[in-house]
Amino acid sequence: MKSEVFGANSSVVVVAHELKAPLSLMRQLALSLDFEESVDDAREVGRQIVATSERALQQVNDLTRIARLDDALFEMEPVNPRVVCDEVIAELWQLFRFNRREIEIDYRNKRRLAVANRQLLYSVVYNFCLNAMNYGGEELPSRISVYDRQNKIRIDVRDFGPTVPTKVWREIKDGFVKKPVDIAMRPGSSGLGLYIAAKFANYMNSDFGLVRHRDGTSFYIDLPISGQLSLV
Amino acid sequence: MIYILEDDRGWENYYRRILKGHEMEFFHDGVTAIAAMDERVPDLVILDVLLTGPTGFAVLNEMRSYPELAEVPVVVISSVSMKDEIAKEYGVARVFDKGELMPADVIAAAKEFDGKESA
Repeated sequence: MKSEVFGANSSVVVVAHELKAPLSLMRQLALSLDFEESVDDAREVGRQIVATSERALQQVNDLTRIARLDDALFEMEPVNPRVVCDEVIAELWQLFRFNRREIEIDYRNKRRLAVANRQLLYSVVYNFCLNAMNYGGEELPSRISVYDRQNKIRIDVRDFGPTVPTKVWREIKDGFVKKPVDIAMRPGSSGLGLYIAAKFANYMNSDFGLVRHRDGTSFYIDLPISGQLSLV
Repeated sequence: MIYILEDDRGWENYYRRILKGHEMEFFHDGVTAIAAMDERVPDLVILDVLLTGPTGFAVLNEMRSYPELAEVPVVVISSVSMKDEIAKEYGVARVFDKGELMPADVIAAAKEFDGKESA
């Protein structure tokens, strides 16, 4: 589907396209300010511009981090997954609102810490949520869950959108995510966010995967439990 | 009546604002839009190329295969470029790149094909 639109080559084109989308929208929103009749409406447009630009900046930062993965020191540390998820939700709630989407929280894990790099884990969860926002339906909210699974802590983000094709599911399951277009699984996205998530999960030696549901998809990351106790 | 096929809610909000005064219906995928066109033929279709499900090209193909939809004006507004010959082949009235579009372009197209003024 994507190759039909972008042509055969593509990682750079796909990434450029993905970054063009928020830039084009911000430009239009700024131009449309002339049409607003009230200060409140104009402020709302301003908030939407900020939320859209922050999303683009996050993607650019993530791409920079990918380029630095080989030589940068992203140290593993004890991290509270609930706190990371809370931070992501706080960052994204405006964008969800502008897209008329909701996300609910379901924390069921024991209060233990996970071993991860906080920055990279934030990006993984952020991209899972962004993916859910893009593909979730309007009827049911997406859901971010944290729960214990054997000797790991799982963070998963469930959406109720079109499910992922089997071919893509296999690629992710077998760890064959080599470039964004490989996981251009659901039209409307290059899969860049999930490519980023897969790269960071791999760097942290965590399991990254997805579960196909009849009515949507859950993307998850399984993190090792830290021996250090949480004081939170 | 304008049917707008756009799966990005940010863009949907934008169209709602600048096309106030026009009757609009939004669709996030081509399948639902084509089904709606069976019920009511729109005066204008604004079409993005990258949609959830079949692409805008598939929608154009489908539309042009039905006599009652074949003449419906379509304005393509997308981040993906569309070659002139393809636009001509599908009888696309206007093609705009999202990166270069001006609100006045959308308003003018709506006025021309939907026959109303934006509020």
